[in-house]
Amino acid sequence: MSQHDDGETGRQPPLPRLLLKVNPIACDARGLCIELLPELISADPWGYPIIRSGPVPLHLQPLARRAVAACPTLALMLTSQPP
Amino acid sequence: MTVSGHAGAIVVTSSTPLWYATRATGLVALVLLTASMAFGLLSSVGFQRPEWPRFVTLGLHRNLALLALGFTAVHVLTTVLDSFVSIPLQDAFIPFISSYRPIWVGLGAIALDLMLALIITSLLRTRMGLRSWRLVHWTAYLCWPVAVLHGLGTGTDTPVRWVLVLTACCVLAITVLTLWRLALAWPDRPVASTAGVVLIVVTLIASGAWLRAGPLSPHWSARSGTRSTPPPAGAARPGHRASP
Amino acid sequence: MTARDWAVPTGRPAGPAPGELRLIVRDQPLSLAEHLDHYGPLSADQLESDALIAAIERSGLTGRGGGAFPAGRKIRAAAEATTRPHHIRFAGGGAAKGSAANGSVVVANGSESEPASSKDRVLLSHAPHLVLDGIAVCARAVGASRAYLCAGHGDASISRFLTGAIAERDRARLDNVPVELIATATGYLSGQENALISALNGNAPLPTFVPPRPAERGVHRRPTLVLNVETLAHIALIARFGGDWFRTTGTPAAPGSTLVTVTGAVDRPGVREIPLGTALGEVLQRSGLNQPAQAVLTGGYFGTWLPLPAALAVPVSDEDMRAAGAALGPGVLGVLPEGACGLAETARIASFLAAESAGQCGPCRNGLPALAEALNWIAFGRPGPDAVGLVKQLADLVTGRGACHLPDGAAGLVRSALTVFAADVQAHLTAGPCARAAGPAILQIPVRGAQ
Repeated sequence: MSQHDDGETGRQPPLPRLLLKVNPIACDARGLCIELLPELISADPWGYPIIRSGPVPLHLQPLARRAVAACPTLALMLTSQPP
Repeated sequence: MTVSGHAGAIVVTSSTPLWYATRATGLVALVLLTASMAFGLLSSVGFQRPEWPRFVTLGLHRNLALLALGFTAVHVLTTVLDSFVSIPLQDAFIPFISSYRPIWVGLGAIALDLMLALIITSLLRTRMGLRSWRLVHWTAYLCWPVAVLHGLGTGTDTPVRWVLVLTACCVLAITVLTLWRLALAWPDRPVASTAGVVLIVVTLIASGAWLRAGPLSPHWSARSGTRSTPPPAGAARPGHRASP
Repeated sequence: MTARDWAVPTGRPAGPAPGELRLIVRDQPLSLAEHLDHYGPLSADQLESDALIAAIERSGLTGRGGGAFPAGRKIRAAAEATTRPHHIRFAGGGAAKGSAANGSVVVANGSESEPASSKDRVLLSHAPHLVLDGIAVCARAVGASRAYLCAGHGDASISRFLTGAIAERDRARLDNVPVELIATATGYLSGQENALISALNGNAPLPTFVPPRPAERGVHRRPTLVLNVETLAHIALIARFGGDWFRTTGTPAAPGSTLVTVTGAVDRPGVREIPLGTALGEVLQRSGLNQPAQAVLTGGYFGTWLPLPAALAVPVSDEDMRAAGAALGPGVLGVLPEGACGLAETARIASFLAAESAGQCGPCRNGLPALAEALNWIAFGRPGPDAVGLVKQLADLVTGRGACHLPDGAAGLVRSALTVFAADVQAHLTAGPCARAAGPAILQIPVRGAQ
């Protein structure tokens, strides 16, 4: 989450992309992630999370971390993909 | 020096601010711990309303646990600092080594150790693996009753009516919620569920009987190991006399 | 000339010529002696690891279990995982690099849980020693200390036969790594790679969540190489005759030969070996396509339909079929005659797949039965006007949301049915189930339950 300027040349180093993933076996449809991150996660007809594809936008990363910590079965994961 | 009478027993207490603080923070910590456990139980039964999402229950559970720890820390601090009775810091962590009411203070040490384990593992939850975290978290079912018994056993306020009522309310709340949790835990194993209910009922009855025969009867402070220690020389403070 | 001289070839022996059968050369099974006589022995220098992996990579062999992943790459990954320093503690201690305690595991997957496929069973019962050679070759290449052959479904005669073949090799002291025969469970998912490894670890034969990959951590936490038995048979031949020889049949993009199972409305259903790239029409003709056919199911019960006669020109190879919107999978080709109802067949298969769900993932456990039910309504019931929309929505809801590819496969099958049998869909929507839907099933669905 650190976005810092390379003061000398003015270029910014590339940021790692964070991806939200769910372990479908561990997921029990408790729904906390859907409550905490409705911008990226919605519920299917049976209460299981549908995660929007693509990297997590920067301004939502803190919420994404909170959702990952809140998952009762630790099914939600944030993985980093090199840029 | 204050002399007060409750239900026929004469209780003599000291009136130092530290002693008051210990009792007060202890009671508050118990209430907070009860509240935290209550929200934890609500979380595990999946309680949810349109205007009360699950993350609120979870957030309250966690924050109240931290608050309870905070008040417990102050409670320990005031107890240690209070030179009226000698309870050094290690007595708060190592059970049963205290010279003052060893069993009951020891229970407090156990409860504190468990609280620390519960909170630290929860802070490290995402790095820990679900199974180990869950194993440690089950000790919450031990931590809370131990804390209650510690309060009843050490507390000089146990015979006070509003304290008893408060404690009873805490016990009622947790009992009801635990029974609710138990009902949902093993829907296809009636033997296990019944065993759980029996355990809860037996614990309640036994604790009630102990309460009547112990803290609520005369001579409790002597029987529980309150040894009178003279105040340090030069302290301008009312003395203490063991109750008859 | 001593026996030892004779055993060491001076150059690569010539393998079967293009057009000659490679894997199953006659109706009776080959004994060990007959096998060695026909193919020649595997000599020590042919088993040298680096050259071997290079030969497999050069051959372009892809997995024959349905994944079509390049075999050489898979073997190289497992070999590298074995030599990489481990930070994992093994039960029982022993952490010396490269020692037997650290060895990886080779698993030969002959479980063939796809009901429409019989190629693995036929291969194992006719040329078991090719498969066992392949296991030995791979075990050497990846430094394995254990090998498993998973086959049989509890079928006693096949298990007895394979035990005998393994014993034959034991007596001849052919293999360094003993092969343990494991009978597999019968569920549709039990042959899936992770499910197989899970079963070998003593857990339920159900898929697991992918990190860690089997190449990194599989059976007993060791790097594990899982390969289909047919892939191993080809490897046994590549080890003898070289990667370039493998390419003498098939096409440059899809080299080698493969086993296919042709079933349905043909005179001579069964397993045949064909060069990759053969036109689908030619394969079906050789199997005796005897009546007008409307579609062919490719890849198995979670594959895709291709319309006939348009698909007759499609070459049988994974790449070409993917370009046509299908997949070769484990080489199943199920022919549907004009007189049957494609929607009815698909609905039956969808119900079967839903019942075979492991039940571990909510979207699959809930979504597949709903999908099957919606399709059954169209095939056999009185569908409402938005029935097709519902089916498509459910297919999209389950795709990619399970720990294995069962929901993806089921959704793909149903989508292809809606496309290929679009005319039938219209007819059913307006007039209800057609007469053909009440006919007998062409593609057999196994009956699970009390055994």
